[in-house]
Amino acid sequence: MAGWLFVITLVLALVAVYKPFGDYLYRVVSGTRDNVVERGVYRLVGVDRNAAQTWGVYARSVLAFSAVSILFLYAFLRLQDKLWLSLGFDPLPGHLAWNTAVSFTTNTNWQAYSGESTMGHLVQMAGLAVQNFVSASVGIAVAVALVRGFAARKSATLGNFWVDLTRITLRVLLPVAVVFAVIFMAAGMVQNLSGGVDVTTLTGATQHITGGPVASQEVIKELGTNGGGFYNVNAAHPFENPATWTNWIQLFLILLIPFSLPRVFGRMVGQNRQGYAIAAVMAILAVASVALTIGLEVHGAGTVPQAVGAAMEGKETRFGIPNSAAYAAITTLTSTGSVNSFHDSYTALGGMMPMINMMLGEVAPGGVGAGLYGLLILAVITVFVAGLMVGRTPEYLGKKIGAREMKIASSYFLITPALVLIGTAAAFATGNNATALNVGPHGLSEVLYAFTSASNNNGSAFAGITVNTPWWDTALGLAMLLGRFLPIVLVLALAGSLARQKVTPESEGTLPTHQPLFVGMVVGVTVVLVALTFLPALALGPIAEGLS
Amino acid sequence: MTTPTLEKPTTPSPVRAGTLDPHQLRHSLPQALAKLDPRTLWRNPVMLIVEVGAVFTTVLAVTDPSVFAWIITVWLWLTVLFANLAEAVAEGRGKAQAATLRQAKQDMTAYLRDGREIPATQLKLGDVVVVEAGQIIPGDGDVIEGIASVDESAITGESAPVIRESGGDRSAVTGGTRVLSDRIVVRITQKPGESFVDRMIALVEGANRQKTPNEIALNILLAALTIIFLLSVVTLQPLAIFSKAFQAAAPDTVALDANGVTGIVLVSLIVCLIPTTIGALLSAIGIAGMDRLVQRNVLAMSGRAVEAAGDVNTLLLDKTGTITLGNRQAAEFVPVDGVTAATLAEAAQLSSLADETPEGRSVVVLAKNDFGLRESEPGLMPNVTFVPFTAQTRMSGVDLPGRQIRKGAASAVMKWVRQNGGHPTEEAGEIVDTVSGTGGTPLVVAEQLDGQPARALGVIHLKDVVKAGMRERFDEMRRMGIRTVMITGDNPRTAKAIADEAGVDDFLAEATPEDKLAYIRREQEGGRLVAMTGDGTNDAPALAQADVGVAMNTGTSAAKEAGNMVDLDSDPTKLIEIVEIGKQLLITRGALTTFSITNDIAKYFAIIPAMFAAVYPGLDTLNVMRLHSPGSAILSAVIFNALVIVALIPLALRGVRYTPAGASSLLRRNLLIYGLGGVIAPFLGIKLIDLLVQFIPGI
Amino acid sequence: MRLPSWLAQHIAALRALLVLTVLLGLAYPLAMVAVGRLPGLSDRADGSLITVADKTVGSRLIGQSFTDADGNPVPRYFQSRPSAAGDGYDPTSTSAGNLGPESIVDTLSDNPDDAAQSLLTQVCARSVAVGELEKVDGRRPFCTADGVGAVLAVFHRDGFTGPVTRVVSVNQTGTPFVATYQGVTVESARNGEDYRAMGAVITPIRGDAPADPVVPADAVTASASGLDPHISPAYADLQAPRIARERGLTEDQVRRLIEEHTDGRALGFLGEPAVNVLELNMALDGR
Repeated sequence: MAGWLFVITLVLALVAVYKPFGDYLYRVVSGTRDNVVERGVYRLVGVDRNAAQTWGVYARSVLAFSAVSILFLYAFLRLQDKLWLSLGFDPLPGHLAWNTAVSFTTNTNWQAYSGESTMGHLVQMAGLAVQNFVSASVGIAVAVALVRGFAARKSATLGNFWVDLTRITLRVLLPVAVVFAVIFMAAGMVQNLSGGVDVTTLTGATQHITGGPVASQEVIKELGTNGGGFYNVNAAHPFENPATWTNWIQLFLILLIPFSLPRVFGRMVGQNRQGYAIAAVMAILAVASVALTIGLEVHGAGTVPQAVGAAMEGKETRFGIPNSAAYAAITTLTSTGSVNSFHDSYTALGGMMPMINMMLGEVAPGGVGAGLYGLLILAVITVFVAGLMVGRTPEYLGKKIGAREMKIASSYFLITPALVLIGTAAAFATGNNATALNVGPHGLSEVLYAFTSASNNNGSAFAGITVNTPWWDTALGLAMLLGRFLPIVLVLALAGSLARQKVTPESEGTLPTHQPLFVGMVVGVTVVLVALTFLPALALGPIAEGLS
Repeated sequence: MTTPTLEKPTTPSPVRAGTLDPHQLRHSLPQALAKLDPRTLWRNPVMLIVEVGAVFTTVLAVTDPSVFAWIITVWLWLTVLFANLAEAVAEGRGKAQAATLRQAKQDMTAYLRDGREIPATQLKLGDVVVVEAGQIIPGDGDVIEGIASVDESAITGESAPVIRESGGDRSAVTGGTRVLSDRIVVRITQKPGESFVDRMIALVEGANRQKTPNEIALNILLAALTIIFLLSVVTLQPLAIFSKAFQAAAPDTVALDANGVTGIVLVSLIVCLIPTTIGALLSAIGIAGMDRLVQRNVLAMSGRAVEAAGDVNTLLLDKTGTITLGNRQAAEFVPVDGVTAATLAEAAQLSSLADETPEGRSVVVLAKNDFGLRESEPGLMPNVTFVPFTAQTRMSGVDLPGRQIRKGAASAVMKWVRQNGGHPTEEAGEIVDTVSGTGGTPLVVAEQLDGQPARALGVIHLKDVVKAGMRERFDEMRRMGIRTVMITGDNPRTAKAIADEAGVDDFLAEATPEDKLAYIRREQEGGRLVAMTGDGTNDAPALAQADVGVAMNTGTSAAKEAGNMVDLDSDPTKLIEIVEIGKQLLITRGALTTFSITNDIAKYFAIIPAMFAAVYPGLDTLNVMRLHSPGSAILSAVIFNALVIVALIPLALRGVRYTPAGASSLLRRNLLIYGLGGVIAPFLGIKLIDLLVQFIPGI
Repeated sequence: MRLPSWLAQHIAALRALLVLTVLLGLAYPLAMVAVGRLPGLSDRADGSLITVADKTVGSRLIGQSFTDADGNPVPRYFQSRPSAAGDGYDPTSTSAGNLGPESIVDTLSDNPDDAAQSLLTQVCARSVAVGELEKVDGRRPFCTADGVGAVLAVFHRDGFTGPVTRVVSVNQTGTPFVATYQGVTVESARNGEDYRAMGAVITPIRGDAPADPVVPADAVTASASGLDPHISPAYADLQAPRIARERGLTEDQVRRLIEEHTDGRALGFLGEPAVNVLELNMALDGR
């Protein structure tokens, strides 16, 4: 019961902030008055605040910023021993630095390294955590650009990326981060620049209590749905998630922006009910998934859970099974990827749920921004099929979904499944699956999970698999890179294509995209497309394991 | 001529297109076989993949023969063949329609005015030909000299001859029709091979058919789905090999051995998952849609226009002939004070006796019906002079001994009254205004008895009569989300009254061709698609501007060239049916796509346990249909996949049933039938087939 | 001179990144560090360290091993959960166990480096050990009496079907936990053999252990962080008699202490009730 209350209170809290926070986000992305800091940033960057960009320029700006970010972070990681606060750690090897640089720039935060034994404090806060902020802003900016495409009438432009990046970062992410960093410190999260202290335990052994700027990084890791932990065990670490209530707050922060963006969408297209519909799709999928995951974990099927009497392996005592399962579901539904328990030791079917959540394409509610644009793409595909069924050239919010739009939407939804499936098959075909800790179906799940996580920019791991090898670092790095930027370019192209169109006025013959029927259909399309794509692979992994 | 009459049913006439007799299938078989040629099939990537798969399994079946391999191979070929058959049947029906049209052109000789005789097929644009009674008009063109009655039954099916004459709006003639009397000179307005009939034939022949925009978009989605499923099956292979190796106890099956999933099963899985149902029927649906138009005597210049018809937001309809009967009719006699209605009726009747216009006749009829006034033959009345209507006087009348009666437009008659010593009463003016205000046309009747001043007797109220059932039709349109706009030359007050009575959403009064064009542009500017009908040359710009422009066959060549459809029946209400056909076309595509995708769920439940239960026995839990064996399960899925194509051919040809309704209820209904049906049907079908194929030895 | 637009774009990108790095990567975290120096926060921002007589003994939030130099439990102390962090509760090497729910076959080898225990065997072994320490029944389903996974490799004539031809107890080199299986004598396993690869069907045997084992779940499973500072109240309760015995206290006194150091669910519904082991043990020492 307490487990369900945990979920219900989260839902209620999100419902409560949907309007106010969504409206605030709306004002940030559509406002035109800048403050002193923002004007200063524009001047330093050298951009004209009022220069609207076409989709092509917008896309090139995103790509340029991300490319520079990857190079900068790569150099940072390779040179960390030359910089301050390195704690004496070595520079990262090339393949790991590449993997990590891509991972943080793409909002994935896949960690092929162990934080406490690899990264110095400066790299963590000025390298990795900066990307936690800006990669989140990039996602939101792209989503906003797409929504502008829907809202525009015969316009060639989608806004200005540099302005969006600056305003979202400084007006949304940073203020929330400051507030919650203080709250997190009060809960016991570490925030210092210390290399740690050695203590002598009660039984006389030595224990090294680590230090570092944890709280400041933890907030943005959740708020930006990044997930990259300061420590290897991520949010299971008592310094990253000290209390049961910080656990709740973390999930709230994870869901805050993704669930508020539909409001921004509704506001921008001038129909709040369209935002409600998108939020409803997200909520239905999310609640169903969370409930299923909790149910499966509490039930605790499988030989070892039965021997134990509960699926407690890899879970913390303070969180217990239901809250751990809820965290696992939400972190994978949102492309966050931080974990407070280890999915590898979940029951077979309980462990399949995080995988399916990611396979949904990170849309329920998905990563910040990425979730909204991913779901809008699915809505476009749904509109197309549904629109034909009502006897009209399909249109969404008055924009016709023609050949060009379908070409873009179809390519979008091809990309991640292709990366997941090809990557997984390649790992097996080349024998690189051998680094999996577990054998048989569970080993298969570990490989499938890794590519699912990387391609969908989630970043959580089934763990158990040794991925810090040149092959894995390279392959997963590619999966993350392509899984992030190909969709972004397509989304912006779609936005450009929609913006150019005029708006067909709504009539009785127009497919209503705000009613329960449509909401249900988007849910159905999302689930069926995923099931059809991944069922064969899942059958040989978690399903085979779960039904044995 | 087939101008619409009151009796013309406004509901769609029963369509022959749905019926599919075995005869047709047999006839189409050779063409279906010919379409196996990959050079033809590449236009349909989904089926091309099935064919490549079939070739692959054939090779496997030859090198490593087994009953299972051969049966699968045969059914894969059948799958492709069935798809071709669907297209061939659709084409065959369209061609049959076109053939009758085309036949007329065969062996036809054209007699040029300069005396040369050339085959009709060699006629060029601008040639001038002479057609005598009994001859067939060799090509589309305009009459530039003469008048003739023409039998157009070859293309319209109507046996009554129509009049074609030079100049005006009745000058266009269609190739293949026969001149019954007289002699006309025709200037050919078509390019060789581009007559309406030629274009129509091209549209119903799959090979040359241009894909419509929605079809292209749908094809993209289908291609994406195909790629996804190809990927998910092909990438399964390393995982299958790994799993088989891990579970050393697992025996080899027809589906899986140490080399992974066998080629035959891999191909079967791909074929079952990719959207073959819609892929196979897509072009048949398009062709059948065009065919349905032809059946209703509408020639479309492009499939795009038909599709656009489904999207129409605004329908421009001419008032006269479409919304109202062609002519106004007398509805009431309104006398001024001191005059009885009977007196007015009598005067009106007398003045109209010689008036052969429909308005005039209706006055006589009303007088007879309401007042029992018998009609006397004008010829039998002595000393009577009828005053005909002229554009100058704008009135007509009759001069009896000692009595003059005039009727006509209010201003003209009032002027006559004044000229003859009378002075028009206020009251007559008020009646006139009242009648005009209700959308009627007032005709003032006045008389002058010898020696007395002229006086107005009253007003004949002429009314436009809205056709029966139009209001219901427009309500229907509104439910479909289509605004109807009445176009009329009447003044705004009259127009408004008729618009209210007919139940249209808007009207354009005192409309000039420029007004129409401007109205269409304005609608389009607002993102709306506009459909209209027209026949006159001055309609041409608007017809060209409209997204769907239906020209009447009786209209001018200019109008026909400007529009993108021609209605051979020249029935302006046909526009409504065209919209429905357009919608039906899209709905059929959407419904079958949904059906095709939802089918995959059941196929997974058949094939996944069949492939992998041997390795992980627990997966047999997924075999919810309790299929007999891996072999029978895979075979049943493949057979179902092929048979469902055949089963749906009639639906593809007929189109999904369309009842005018709002988008929500349409979606709910179609989703229930084709979405839910698509989930359930294959479970039943596959189980049923499995019950049969399990008896095949070796399965 | 005008730069080519692609170059201008990348220079703008670099400037943007540098500006934001200064703001977000330096100003923000350092400001937070400064806030963390405020009284009331500084203790927590520094790791909630516990100091006894000028000696820092650990962090309130980080679990510890209460074992001797050889890794054996020190009976005077409440024991923490099993840990996969380094050699146990090592904050420089945090980790979970990461074995799956069907990890039930050990890799047996003469060379300890090649040998690997399955998760099932780890659970069984821990259960037996706790049972011995606390003098309670340490049996669990799917576990043998000697604390390994009760798993048979069953060879059938036709793979999964047909009569049983050979049976091996895969996790035991000594006497098998059952003598026969379906009429076939059960063999003990030999080092280095992979019976599944030889065509056996791996079959865990439930056994007759009670469905609700005496040793609680958290006592036999590794936590997520390897630093779990808590144990369940049930596990604390199980240890109470031993602590009372070792420390010469009554069980009631010990239980009262446990209660004092049990954190209930926050707000009544967040998380699970848990006992902070370090604080509990310090309370014992402090008496």
